[in-house]
Amino acid sequence: MKSIQYAGMTLAIGLALVSPEAEARPVSYPGGWTVMQMNDGDASTLHVHYSPTFKDSIGLYSERNWGEDWHFTGVQYNRLVKRWNTPNSQANLYFKAAAGQADPFGDGADVKAAGFVGVSADWETRRWFASYEARGYDLGFTQDARQSARVGIAPYIGDYGDLHTWLMLQVDNQPEADTPTTLTPLVRFFYDVQLLEIGYTPESEELMLNWIVRF
Amino acid sequence: MRILLTALAATTIAVASPAAIAQDTTTTETSIAAQTMVTAKVNGMVCDFCARAVTKVFGKEDAVENVHVDLDNGEIHVTLKSGAELSDERVESLVKKSGYDLVSIEREAA
Repeated sequence: MKSIQYAGMTLAIGLALVSPEAEARPVSYPGGWTVMQMNDGDASTLHVHYSPTFKDSIGLYSERNWGEDWHFTGVQYNRLVKRWNTPNSQANLYFKAAAGQADPFGDGADVKAAGFVGVSADWETRRWFASYEARGYDLGFTQDARQSARVGIAPYIGDYGDLHTWLMLQVDNQPEADTPTTLTPLVRFFYDVQLLEIGYTPESEELMLNWIVRF
Repeated sequence: MRILLTALAATTIAVASPAAIAQDTTTTETSIAAQTMVTAKVNGMVCDFCARAVTKVFGKEDAVENVHVDLDNGEIHVTLKSGAELSDERVESLVKKSGYDLVSIEREAA
């Protein structure tokens, strides 16, 4: 019973806390589970997925978009299309798609079939990081598009098992938003199976708080 | 008679003990020699999460006793259980399953 309550609390916190833009590495190792909770003030998302192989993951995705007043819930599939491994770097290209339902806030009767497709790419060394993601939504009652990119640097190189720290800068572009382009400096902490990101967007005066755990 | 028995017992101990010790030593040496460490050099292993994927995948193998990842050199050090074997083809398959590319494999006694 306690574990159910704990899971419920985790889901509730997740829905209150999450942003789709920062979903780097949407696929885990074979047999691995991932919980991603993200929030940037415009949107809160929760993505829980399972990876049967290192190239695929499938799970549930829920997004409450505070900026445009809608809620989406569906099943999301992620595919690692291509990975480039070199002695000192790794780069990835991912495809994402989700299908489910969406409804505008305060109008539960107006539920529509909805979905989105997206691509994301990242490149990482032990010192440098860069990523890009683009998504297009069809929510039945409206359509939405967004893209974001990140660059990051690790101020020190940690070994396996150490606390890893990254300083990052994220740029978001959402043509339909009140502030179409925003810049968010953030700090990423990565330790053991936990990843925590804290950032702040001056243009919108919003806090970013992301949490990822893999097990 | 008592002196004779004592002398016989002492002689037996003196002769038998080194043999017994030698036998134990031999057994231990055989056990150590049977353990192998496989070092796989791979491309693409640049982060803690990459290392975790490798330890999870290799750790599920029955033949594997311990996995250590050296991110600085891009190496996976796999200690096999005594007498266990892990073929090069299997190592390559596990590296690929983890999401990385195998460069080379070296083996040495652990």
